[in-house]
Amino acid sequence: MIDQSTIRKIIHVDMDAFFASVEQLDNPELRGKPVAVGGNRERGVVAAASYEARKFGVRSAMPGKIAALRCPGLIFVRPRFERYKEISGQIRQIFLDYTDLVEPLSLDEAFLDVTENKVNNPSATRIALEIRKRIKDELGLNASAGISYNKFLAKTASDINKPNGQAVILPKNAEAFLEKLPIERFYGIGKVTAEKMKELGIHNGFDLKQYSVQYLTKKFGKSGLHFYNIVRGIHLSEVKPNRIRKSLSAESTFSKDISEDEQIADALERIWEEVVRRMERSGVKGRTVTLKIKYHDFTIHTRSKTIEKFLEPARIKEIIWELWHQEPLVAAVRLLGIGISNLNLEEEDYFPGKQLWINFDGEYAEDQS
Amino acid sequence: MKFIVSSSALLKQLSAINGVVTTNPVVPILENFLFEIKSGKLTVTASDLQTSMITELDVEAREDGNIAVPAKILIETLKNLPEQPVTFSIDQDTYSIEISSDNGRYKLAGENATDFPKIPSVTNATAVDMSTEILSSAISNTIFATSNDELRPAMTGVYINLSKTNTTFVATDGHRLVRYRRVDVASKDDSSIIIPRKALNLLKSTLPSENVPVTVEFNSSNAYFKFNNTKMICRLIDERFPDYENVIPVDNPNHMTIDRLEFLGSLRRIAIYANKTTHQVRLKLTGSELQISAEDLDFSNEANERLSCDHDGEDIEIGFNARFLVEMLNNLSSKEVTLKFSAPNRAGLIVPSDKGDNEDILMLVMPVMLNNYV
Repeated sequence: MIDQSTIRKIIHVDMDAFFASVEQLDNPELRGKPVAVGGNRERGVVAAASYEARKFGVRSAMPGKIAALRCPGLIFVRPRFERYKEISGQIRQIFLDYTDLVEPLSLDEAFLDVTENKVNNPSATRIALEIRKRIKDELGLNASAGISYNKFLAKTASDINKPNGQAVILPKNAEAFLEKLPIERFYGIGKVTAEKMKELGIHNGFDLKQYSVQYLTKKFGKSGLHFYNIVRGIHLSEVKPNRIRKSLSAESTFSKDISEDEQIADALERIWEEVVRRMERSGVKGRTVTLKIKYHDFTIHTRSKTIEKFLEPARIKEIIWELWHQEPLVAAVRLLGIGISNLNLEEEDYFPGKQLWINFDGEYAEDQS
Repeated sequence: MKFIVSSSALLKQLSAINGVVTTNPVVPILENFLFEIKSGKLTVTASDLQTSMITELDVEAREDGNIAVPAKILIETLKNLPEQPVTFSIDQDTYSIEISSDNGRYKLAGENATDFPKIPSVTNATAVDMSTEILSSAISNTIFATSNDELRPAMTGVYINLSKTNTTFVATDGHRLVRYRRVDVASKDDSSIIIPRKALNLLKSTLPSENVPVTVEFNSSNAYFKFNNTKMICRLIDERFPDYENVIPVDNPNHMTIDRLEFLGSLRRIAIYANKTTHQVRLKLTGSELQISAEDLDFSNEANERLSCDHDGEDIEIGFNARFLVEMLNNLSSKEVTLKFSAPNRAGLIVPSDKGDNEDILMLVMPVMLNNYV
């Protein structure tokens, strides 16, 4: 049933107790101890619990009060999302060494499509091992991974040997594995759906497989087809690298601060040329032009203007001059930059089913200095 | 203060303006009608601050006076009374109101009339005359295309542009646009205003079915509509209306003329099978055959029909939101309509093939992108 030539190799990487592990990493006193991130003894809910705390039955989304009852020695710490984001970014950098097809699900999980990869390693299992080892060596954190031929199975697989382990579901084993899988363990089947399925006598994949797509669609609407497919190991969703470029820019720092109109005009012209070159190379167009000025005292001023149409190079140049003349120069200039944002990549203009908008011509200016 | 009035005559006038009264107004006194009696004439005002409506009727009264009367209780009472003269007695100190009828007596607590917000008068106004027929067809032809998006306030109303030769009414929600033009309404000076949708809805439901003259006056902040013995004053939307003329394509190579009701009937059936989110239907023109189809992959639903039409242009396939098409075709009355388009990602136009002498209507609708890989 499965066409070998189009088969994908997907890895789902899931960090183990991510927030709590980061806290234990940054604060050695917390290591080996039950830690809850978020909430406290009186109120609030636990956002994440360390494995030591999980042994006591502390779970995420559990009220702090209950968590404290279950685990008397539980240490509550305040979440530091900025820090988690930072580490998440570092993990992402590791992923990007292997493939550009990285789809983050949250700060602590992502799908990677390694069918074609930058290290020319044909084994997704080995890549997963290597990624997990690098996360451990470089960041001191444990990760689990699931490997399979689609996102749904990879995600299901990463749970099998969690924590600090990995598992692979091969095409030939997928259906047998899914038949035995309890219905509530299917990714995308939540509590409510699982209850409803159990009422219908569906307790595992095998039970689910007995029903027709028509029946499932009738009972579960849209999701019926999805359920019908996933139990057969079919899940066609691609790994969507969420790397939508937000802006494109060029800037130039001068070896000596400049203040003469002529010098500035020259510099802006050169930077504009570079921006246009980059736009052309990447096929990107934008609706917002931002002019950035760094003065010799390092204060930065930015001015921008947004138009409802995507801008052509000549129009960008006009707007740069407009922005430049908006405000008198206050001091000698150290750096000039031109940025283009609100790019045509952000709105996928022509995806099927998209209701198009009337492109009214109006212009409006945006101030942000 | 005391006055006598026919229960049904009062109910009729109050019902005409009751739509302005909101259930949860900014100021509680706006849950009331303002009653003002002067020389045997009762003036009733209802307002939500943005829009106010005023109506007049003759009553039997010996003295002048004012009172604010709770709108809901009064309307309910009048609705349930058999037709008869009723007497209102008002205690000017306590603001209590007593209504006596053949059936009995009803007491309710009014409020001080001076607390009722002042209704703006329209000064330095530009005036234009039209009729209820023109106004109501202008409203019903455009209002459905206005936007609900409070972030684009200009589009939440109908734009009216007056010139020496005609008057143009335009509405758009960004996906579709209607331009309705009358050559039998004109003004000495060029000017334009945007009237909020709520005010137009109120007008639409209040305009009498018989054709009577309507005076429209406006300045930069308010507009004022007057017909029979009813007036409406509304605050204008002080925004720049999008430049609509530039977005109406003039060089559409594809022209398709088709029987409106046949097309509408077909779209209604096909729409049942369309995707519930996009409501996309596919129009495929091959020679003089129009194939209309839709599919909903999530439910394995699909439908298609074939109609014959007059088509001038290359074969083309283009997708639209069926609801928009149905709504637009519904608002037209001609036997046949002409659709004009150029590409699956460019605006389509719908115009009636035959039209009234004094009116001109054009509807624009943006496509829904087709998926040609399915």
